[in-house]
Amino acid sequence: MNWLQLFVADFKALLSDKDIVLTVFGGLLFYSVLYPLPYLHQVPTEQKIVVVDHDNSSLSRQLVRHADASSKIKIVSQVASINEAQQWISNGDAFGLLVIPEGFRRNLLLGKGATLSYGGDASYFLIYSAVAEGLVAAGMDASKQVQMIGLLARGENPQQIQKDLNSVNLNSVPAFNPSLGYTPYVVPGLFLLILHQTLLIGASILGAGQWRKQGYWQQVSPLALITARIAVFSLIYSFFSCFYLGYCYYFYNVSVQATLGQVLLFMVPFILSTAACGVALSCLFVRRDLPTQVLLLVSMPILFVSGFVWPVALIPEPLVQAAQVIPAVPAIMGMLQLNQMGASWEAVLPLWLQMWGLFLLFSLLAYIGVKRRLFSDT
Amino acid sequence: MGALLQKEFKTLWNSPWQLALVTYIPIISMLCLWWLFSAGLPRQLPVAVVDLDNSQLTRTLTRNLSANSVISPKTYPNLALAQEAMSTAEVYALVVYPHQFKHGLLTGSSPTIDIRYNSQFLLVGKLLSSQLQLSLGSGLMEVAGLKQLLGGANKASVAVNLSPVTSQTTALFNRNNNYVGFLVPPVLIALLQLLSMMVFVNALNASLLKGEVKCLLPDNFWQLVATKVMLYTPIMLLHGGFILAWLYGYLGLPIAGSLGLLVLTQVMMLAALWLLVILVVVIMREPAGSVSMGSAMFAPAFAFMGITFPVNDMPQLAQWWRLLMPSSHYMDTHVIVVSYGAEAGQVLLQSSSFLYFLVLLPISWLLVKIILQKQASVKSSKPLTVASQQQEAR
Repeated sequence: MNWLQLFVADFKALLSDKDIVLTVFGGLLFYSVLYPLPYLHQVPTEQKIVVVDHDNSSLSRQLVRHADASSKIKIVSQVASINEAQQWISNGDAFGLLVIPEGFRRNLLLGKGATLSYGGDASYFLIYSAVAEGLVAAGMDASKQVQMIGLLARGENPQQIQKDLNSVNLNSVPAFNPSLGYTPYVVPGLFLLILHQTLLIGASILGAGQWRKQGYWQQVSPLALITARIAVFSLIYSFFSCFYLGYCYYFYNVSVQATLGQVLLFMVPFILSTAACGVALSCLFVRRDLPTQVLLLVSMPILFVSGFVWPVALIPEPLVQAAQVIPAVPAIMGMLQLNQMGASWEAVLPLWLQMWGLFLLFSLLAYIGVKRRLFSDT
Repeated sequence: MGALLQKEFKTLWNSPWQLALVTYIPIISMLCLWWLFSAGLPRQLPVAVVDLDNSQLTRTLTRNLSANSVISPKTYPNLALAQEAMSTAEVYALVVYPHQFKHGLLTGSSPTIDIRYNSQFLLVGKLLSSQLQLSLGSGLMEVAGLKQLLGGANKASVAVNLSPVTSQTTALFNRNNNYVGFLVPPVLIALLQLLSMMVFVNALNASLLKGEVKCLLPDNFWQLVATKVMLYTPIMLLHGGFILAWLYGYLGLPIAGSLGLLVLTQVMMLAALWLLVILVVVIMREPAGSVSMGSAMFAPAFAFMGITFPVNDMPQLAQWWRLLMPSSHYMDTHVIVVSYGAEAGQVLLQSSSFLYFLVLLPISWLLVKIILQKQASVKSSKPLTVASQQQEAR
């Protein structure tokens, strides 16, 4: 059996295995729809809040109108007391409250200052930040209004006031994900992880189903087998990578900054090292229902340790170090830098080399593992 | 029944993987996930500062930034280097003081301080954006006052100018906006659901009989199911209890309601999960296939809970899909108990959504009946052997 025949045989073995086809082909298509599904509307809008207006003046009503006009919040009701507001929140009818103190307008005009209180339900992170942003903006607006009225009352000239009120502009602008959308935030990293995990599962199931049986895999050398298998999986995953990084990025509006050549070049060691890792892992299994379980369990930790959901700076150092041997970890970080944040190739070069290193490491482990499986189990 | 239970226990004892799944794997993985998030509050996040003015004022502003616990300013000599650091995620935000900043301010030409925050990391980016504005704003306040006095404004109007409206923002129910309190419970519940799914699928697979194409259902299927429910519900509940004890007992996260109600809800969650798993196994009747299907369903559970992204903003399809997962129903109750201190009545009302899962019972029942009849009609002469429990992985 020459290498090409082996390649074809391996390909056929993969395609005729129902579970692998289900996991690799079915899974990849299914997940490309299912995972981004909750975030399709991107940005949380119109979070419900209630207002407790103890002042009931023209200014407080204006403040409430301004708040309501914000796209982030929607005022569902005005209630009489804070207790009542709490009730609304406990019932899930509102997620935040705004309290305007008594004498709000009078104090402001007298130059005494006043305090607005906002509260948001911090059990839900995005809801809380949307409520806080909307209310803070409304509060700042009201504050400007008051300043204007107060200064005018003191006989300042209107032009001078404009200058005084905006003495410094703070121009805070998001870089890289300008819409602040949730899909462009989650999708790039998540999709690489899905490619990674399904490849590992597919390769492991294939190996687990073969080791203790007779077949073509025993008529060839371990080196031929692992190279053929890595080639088969790499070929399939090249197509899936094109689908995920090409069509799906486009569909989900993920920003793309790198050139096509750079992305391709970056994906090569990722696919190769993951395929080698898959072949190496497959030597650990002989039960076909185990790889899915084991790899599923480690998915969540890998997702979080790769540093795009929760900042790497806050993850305990030992965990970060240990995770460096997982091909998905440098791949996700590198791809985010290269493709989403527009880093130069030199900047991601260390990660690229790290993946080549992992490819060598896992190829060696795969060679040792396959050799042991082929010669000790016959 | 006693004999069956004993047999079930023996099967468990002889299966290293299953034994690991019900003993140390849950504990290790839960502690690992908690460790990942244990920092709790984002602190000392690196921020690049490019000071093109280099005046006393800009240095004061930078000192103001370092006083904020979230921000850790790092000075960069020029914009290009800072941008490079930003695009490689070395820093999460970038502050630029323009040339002649102080001069512009004192001569009344409204200079601009540019802040760029990395919104590819949404969580950190949003946090830094607001904290940077807050810190710089308060730092500029003093300067603004000075400038107005210089401009001849009287003292009273300066006071009004500076901060007429102070605002006080309170995070209700999760003091300090601690991420352990907000992220870790749903992550661990998603994990518990995955583990329970695997344990129960494995247990059911273990009693399937080897058939020609698919595995066969044993005649006493429901009896076996009952045994497994009796054995595995308390075990997985113990792990669920461990989560609660760890978070609200040992770590002392605030909880307004009673833990007992949460345990009760966990029982319902497990029951709903068992019903789903039974249906999956009956349909698939193939060990690896059942595991794959279970994984496909429950792997994204965390995203669908509505904790990170509000349910109301999800598309309708996602809202339906989330109802298929027992963990989403559980988390709804978890939040009202932990945050709002919901009482038993409210919890029961909320948990009634679990009742939908009961529909699965007659469906499975009917399916099993049909399959068993079919199996009986296909008279196989060969003796049946237990199929699963294949050789263990080494």
